Amino acid sequence: MALLSVKDISVTIGKLNLLDGVAFDIGAGEILGLVGESGSGKSLTAMCVMGLLPRIGGRITEGSIIFDGREMIGLPEVELRHLRGKRIALISQNPMTSLDPIIRIGAQIDQVSTLHLGLSAEAAKARSLDLIAQLRIPEPEAIHGAYPHQLSGGMKQRIVIAMALAADPDLIVADEPTTALDVTIQAQIIQIMVELVRDRGLALMLITHDMGVVAQACDRVVVLYAGRVAETNTVEAIFAEPHHPYTRELIRCIPRLGQAPGSLKGIPGAVPSVVDYPAGCRFNSRCGAAEDLCRNTVPALERKTSGLAACHFSEV
Amino acid sequence: MESAAAMREGDLVRITGLTREFSSGGGLMTPRRTMRAVNEVSLDVPRGKVTGVVGESGCGKSTLARLVLRLLDATAGTVTFDGIDLASLSPGQMRKLRRRMQMVFQDPYSAIDPRYTIRRALLEPFQVQGVVQTAAEARATVDELISMVGLSPRMLSSFPHQLSGGQKQRVGIARALALRPSFLVLDEPTASLDVSIQAQIIDLLESLKEELGLTYLFISHDLSLVRYFCDRVVVMYLGRAMEILPGAKAQPRHHYAHALLDSNFEPDPTQRKVITMLAGEIPSPFAMIPGCAFAARCPAASDLCRRERPALEDLGGGHMIACHHPKN
Ligand SMILES: Nc1ncnc2c1ncn2[C@@H]1O[C@H](COP(=O)(O)OP(=O)(O)OP(=O)(O)O)[C@@H](O)[C@H]1O
Ligand SMILES: Nc1ncnc2c1ncn2[C@@H]1O[C@H](COP(=O)(O)OP(=O)(O)O)[C@@H](O)[C@H]1O
Ligand code: SF4
Ligand code: SF4
Ligand SMILES: [Mg+2]
Ligand SMILES: [Mg+2]
Repeated sequence: MALLSVKDISVTIGKLNLLDGVAFDIGAGEILGLVGESGSGKSLTAMCVMGLLPRIGGRITEGSIIFDGREMIGLPEVELRHLRGKRIALISQNPMTSLDPIIRIGAQIDQVSTLHLGLSAEAAKARSLDLIAQLRIPEPEAIHGAYPHQLSGGMKQRIVIAMALAADPDLIVADEPTTALDVTIQAQIIQIMVELVRDRGLALMLITHDMGVVAQACDRVVVLYAGRVAETNTVEAIFAEPHHPYTRELIRCIPRLGQAPGSLKGIPGAVPSVVDYPAGCRFNSRCGAAEDLCRNTVPALERKTSGLAACHFSEV
Repeated sequence: MESAAAMREGDLVRITGLTREFSSGGGLMTPRRTMRAVNEVSLDVPRGKVTGVVGESGCGKSTLARLVLRLLDATAGTVTFDGIDLASLSPGQMRKLRRRMQMVFQDPYSAIDPRYTIRRALLEPFQVQGVVQTAAEARATVDELISMVGLSPRMLSSFPHQLSGGQKQRVGIARALALRPSFLVLDEPTASLDVSIQAQIIDLLESLKEELGLTYLFISHDLSLVRYFCDRVVVMYLGRAMEILPGAKAQPRHHYAHALLDSNFEPDPTQRKVITMLAGEIPSPFAMIPGCAFAARCPAASDLCRRERPALEDLGGGHMIACHHPKN
């Protein structure tokens, strides 16, 4: 049974229908990539899984989210808070949303394991130092006593990862954890994070808009487009034989090493905005294969030769 | 080897020993500190070609861009445009020359006044330059400009907030092209766009270059994009040019260029890689390191590297590198 099972959730904020039937599973020890362009609903999906949607005035109108066999939707806030600290951890794009600027780094990491693992102050500190070292931050003692503003962006993000690992969670939700960082730092942090998650057999939901990161790190992939799942499959299949035209196009838009000059073409048009999502398939205004059916009828997320795709005309 | 004269003919812009210092502090309590955002950069920009500049945040790319257009004055070094030394020009002469050299910015929002319609935004460069047009001429000009970047003339009466990021960037390009420049400096023009739109914009820039015979200086932090789009690539680190690759196929030999290449994950799960961990992070530009700027993080650094700064040398065929121990 999957550790986390998101079943056809739909989300509204005010009058806007922002997610429509989003569904996927994450197994223990699995790295699931959630990809899509800006506004496709990646962060909202993360908020749902974290039980944080009410904080931004959102509501899950349909569907269910089962974590470790229990329905999360409708759980009282106390229980959600316990789940969030202890069993599901969040790493967000901006490390300062997780760090308190006026508390020393060490105290912030220590607190996670005293609170959730019941460790003594001493044991917690030892654990924090160990985690800092595992994230390959030099001079753990010095960093333990430092304040967030004394650290670079890349270091702060590693501290947030250390904090996420500190409670020994079962699932980590990482929302564009390296997007704000320089490329050399991004690559290193992705590598370290993947190693640590694999070593501990944790499940990771890795949200990114970067197909390179997906190819490098993930086992399975969910492709979102305009608030719906376009396709989900193993990472190998997503790149080798994408079933949905959007996935195919998205991969084609990334310049590759040795790509012939003049051969890079974008996807015509732009992602429609929430207020004027087209009827039928939301990709229909940009899809070369669109026909009348696509403009009238929403394609269901269906099983293909491998994985699932939501397209009336995907060949296989 | 081409003769010096032939090379001069081929280069639209020549940059020699370009340096820009910034200072901070110098108040009552803080000592005055100086850093070089751009440090002795020399570079030729061949006519009709795309010269790329790649490097991480803070390495001096935008400062270089502003120096090249003389939107910022150099501390030392020269920029010549079509043989004219920009520093020798009076403000009036410089303003005139600006018609021939324009900039496209990363943030399409910043370049367009939110209170202006797109039509007005496109006519603004003419007003700044004091170009007088009849109403009919102005109409024809904006119609042509907007179509040139693939937008509908219906969009002319829109305001910037009604446009998507990609559309705004198209307007930014149209504005830069208004005065028919021959040279465009593109400072991360696609960095805030989704990849499906980035590819559209690159495609547009490629065809405009062919149609209008433009020369580009293209700035980006994305090595694979730069290698795709550019004829030559300059790799910058802490204000310096570390390596100049003469073509997209040239294999980098500088250790920093390799680190960048290494950090670039191909969109292909069969090509996963194991990253060599670099020590530390980019040092503060105020550190004013004596030897190679990359020595603190370089896996091949020797005592020589920490002591003496390697000069940029020609490996042949226009492949330049500043490294004591280039990678094979
Ligand atoms: N007006 C200024 N005053 C002081 N320092 C400056 C100024 N402009 C730039 N700098 C500094 O010069 C260095 C180079 O900055 P620059 O903006 O050129 O970098 P960049 O390569 O364009 O970075 P990014 O990728 O983040 O755009 C940085 O350390 C920056 O803080
Ligand atoms: N608090 C909010 N109120 C209204 N709309 C929102 C809110 N947060 C997100 N949205 C909208 O929901 C959609 C998905 O947003 P998001 O999940 O943040 O996308 P992503 O993370 O994929 O870029 C977008 O259209 C966005 O504008
Ligand atoms: S359903 Fe139609 S419009 Fe949508 S992706 Fe498939 S072919 Fe294209
Ligand atoms: S000069 Fe030395 S430190 Fe600098 S890149 Fe070359 S080997 Fe590395
Ligand atoms: Mg987001
Ligand atoms: Mg810049």
